Amino acid sequence: MTGSPPTTPPVADVGQQGPPPPPPTQARVVAQGVSKAFGSLVAVSDVSFSIGPGITALLGPNGAGKSTLLRILCGLSAPTTGRVLVAGGDPRTSADARRQIGLVPQQDGIFERDSVRSFVRLGAVLSNVDDPTGATDAALTAVELDGPIDRPLGAFSKGMRQRAKIAAALVHNPGVLFLDEPLNGLDPKQRRSMIDLFHTLGERGKTVVVSSHVLDEVERFGSNVLVIARGRLAAQGDFRAIRALMNDQPLRFRVRCGHTRRVAAALIAGELASGVTVAEDVIELTTENAPALRARLAHVCQHYDARLHECTPLDEDLESVFRYLVA
Amino acid sequence: MSEFLAIYRLVITHQLTRGRVVLIAVAIGAFALLGATVLRGAVDPFEATIQFVSVVGLGLLLPVISLLLGSAAMGDWYTDETLVYVWLRPVRRTTVACAAIAAALTVTLPGNLLPMLAAVVASGQTGDGALIGTISATVMVTLAYTAVFVLLGITVKRPLAIGLIYIFIWEFFVSRGAAGAARLSINSYGSTMLARATDLDLTLADRARWATFVVPVGVAVVAALLASVRLQRMDVA
Repeated sequence: MTGSPPTTPPVADVGQQGPPPPPPTQARVVAQGVSKAFGSLVAVSDVSFSIGPGITALLGPNGAGKSTLLRILCGLSAPTTGRVLVAGGDPRTSADARRQIGLVPQQDGIFERDSVRSFVRLGAVLSNVDDPTGATDAALTAVELDGPIDRPLGAFSKGMRQRAKIAAALVHNPGVLFLDEPLNGLDPKQRRSMIDLFHTLGERGKTVVVSSHVLDEVERFGSNVLVIARGRLAAQGDFRAIRALMNDQPLRFRVRCGHTRRVAAALIAGELASGVTVAEDVIELTTENAPALRARLAHVCQHYDARLHECTPLDEDLESVFRYLVA
Repeated sequence: MSEFLAIYRLVITHQLTRGRVVLIAVAIGAFALLGATVLRGAVDPFEATIQFVSVVGLGLLLPVISLLLGSAAMGDWYTDETLVYVWLRPVRRTTVACAAIAAALTVTLPGNLLPMLAAVVASGQTGDGALIGTISATVMVTLAYTAVFVLLGITVKRPLAIGLIYIFIWEFFVSRGAAGAARLSINSYGSTMLARATDLDLTLADRARWATFVVPVGVAVVAALLASVRLQRMDVA
């Protein structure tokens, strides 16, 4: 065994008794100029970022390089150039760094002949947890796995196996969690429950990196994203803030009000909208000056004695931001 | 120590599939049958038995069973992408490699010894060093082969195919045809032990006495170290 045993309590406190959250600026995962090439194919190209506590979603279209990047972040794959630090250490060479990592891999491979309990306990023993049995029970409770957990994993549904993988990732109370498509195979109730668990972990100061291609799910994880496109880092941060910075992509709004034609004409004349589509009580407009539109729309409506019912952005959601970034 | 035992248990649990157990049982049955019929009925049953143990046992069955079980020890994890569950834990790579080799040996030793002993006992030729020679040669050669094949399991994508090529091309043919190549044949050290114990003249049995102990152990140690290095440097799926 390398290094010293973990000093944090075992998983009984998954997301409950952990150390107080570090300052938001404290980076737990750092990538510096990371590239990965497979022969002539460059899967990840000169990517640099840092990730602090809380949930960060790793986004990218299929083949963008996010799985490769996630594997590099965990230390499973060596970068061709650049370096990765997790909790201050290189996960490929530092046992202390690996002790801080919990991973839910995407692949289905699992020790099919092991029971759920012994699979999770294996992770506790190999991580040198002080009380492997207690930690195992706590991890199984955290993912709401009960019932016939002493049966072989091969006999279980995909959802049960997925929760066993999540429990194994949590069992040693890691500071950094990498979750690759963690909701695969789970039913809606289990998904909601796991999302709540990940939120709790993030709020307790864990760094949670979630890779998913289902944008609806990602949006439920939070707003902090790291977008990979064609092997490069396309954007990082709150996706709404990212959207606000996209000056080359006019924002679209739906405005429901009275006197739509007059109001629309005034918005164009006042350069608050660059294009409008007018229906009986709805204006759909594009604007390159959203703050001014938001500030003056009410005045414009008041001027024409038009009641304003609604002003809703149409492309500030994650899907729109993602589409613009990877287009 | 708990990490070593956990990995040891894991390897054994997953190594002993029904197919592999049946294969060993078939080998035991076939060797016992051959011993009771062909070897017992030979003109010189003692020499026939020792030649059989040397050529068919040490030269063929032992490396094949060691390959099947040894390459599966960590090779199965490598193939089915479960290695990540061990690799990512803060365990020394040498601990992982040594536990896997120890577990593989726990299975390959009886898997190799029982068919050999079945043939010797069934032939009725247990005296004049036959039994002790068979046991010592099998143990030493199994040790070396198993460690090498555990390493092979995490080094190449098709360990069974590569291993069989090595066994048949190198160990079975090339080493028997060239004196220099024979020094690099693991099998030759077992044959030498068997020849010394039974005082018979066997093919490839011209290694030094010290080498019959030192070389197989050395091969196993080097294989364990290389497996540790491989674990450290490999990309894990």
